[in-house]
Amino acid sequence: MIGRVLSTGSATVTADHVAAFADALGDQDPRYRGPHAVAPPTYPVAFMVQAMSGGMDTFQELGLNFMTLVHGEQEFEYRRPVQVGETLELTGRIADIYEKQSSSGGVLDFVVLETEAKDGTGATVFFSRNVLISRRA
Amino acid sequence: MPLDVASVKVGDALPTLQKGPITKDDLKRYGPAAGDPNPIHLDDEFAKSAGYPGVFAHGMLSMGYLGELLVRAGGSPASVRKFRARFAKITWPGDALTCGGTVTAVHDDGAVRLVDCDLWTETQTGERKVTGTATLALPRA
Repeated sequence: MIGRVLSTGSATVTADHVAAFADALGDQDPRYRGPHAVAPPTYPVAFMVQAMSGGMDTFQELGLNFMTLVHGEQEFEYRRPVQVGETLELTGRIADIYEKQSSSGGVLDFVVLETEAKDGTGATVFFSRNVLISRRA
Repeated sequence: MPLDVASVKVGDALPTLQKGPITKDDLKRYGPAAGDPNPIHLDDEFAKSAGYPGVFAHGMLSMGYLGELLVRAGGSPASVRKFRARFAKITWPGDALTCGGTVTAVHDDGAVRLVDCDLWTETQTGERKVTGTATLALPRA
């Protein structure tokens, strides 16, 4: 299970989406607006649902409790900012799975998902690592 | 004002950023923009059925605020090399956040000065909700 690729796909970055994302953060920086804009540092999260979409069966296989699934940690490593107009190739995989006892005595399941984005030249643009936590029902 | 590359040192504070108070409308804007359809942030009844008193903010919304702090401190979106956040406590509608940070290490790597930082969001009552770390790369003049 660890190392399993959940999905691959591509996403094209549009000026409207980057501007809407910056608006949603209340971030007025003009560098996030227009046809030559770059994206804010946390913009890659907008790709995560897509990167994870191939993973629903895997999550069920793992017995994760969707009702209590929370985002515990997020980590990004950037080679450069994401740019409006480019198309990124995304690969999402399961990096780790482990469990811990919660302070209230239950069991918490942790799933670490990793996404790598490459540009049209094959160069890595960013890595994303997110830790999802599910309280075992 | 961005950090001054020549004088930045361990213990320096990053210029703080005030965000919020967070409204439910902020959450309704953020969810679709971030491609996150989870109704736990949008629908009070759904959040209650999942055992919460009501909707709460996306962890990534707070991380986005910290990203704005980092870009201001580094002077450019390209200055952010690494960025990590831990969503330790839930941020609720009505919370006003002070985003802050402090420099924990400075070292040179070729043409850039790498600045490691601790980061946090803190509410009006002084409670830290999200904590994190980051590395900024500042061009050496």
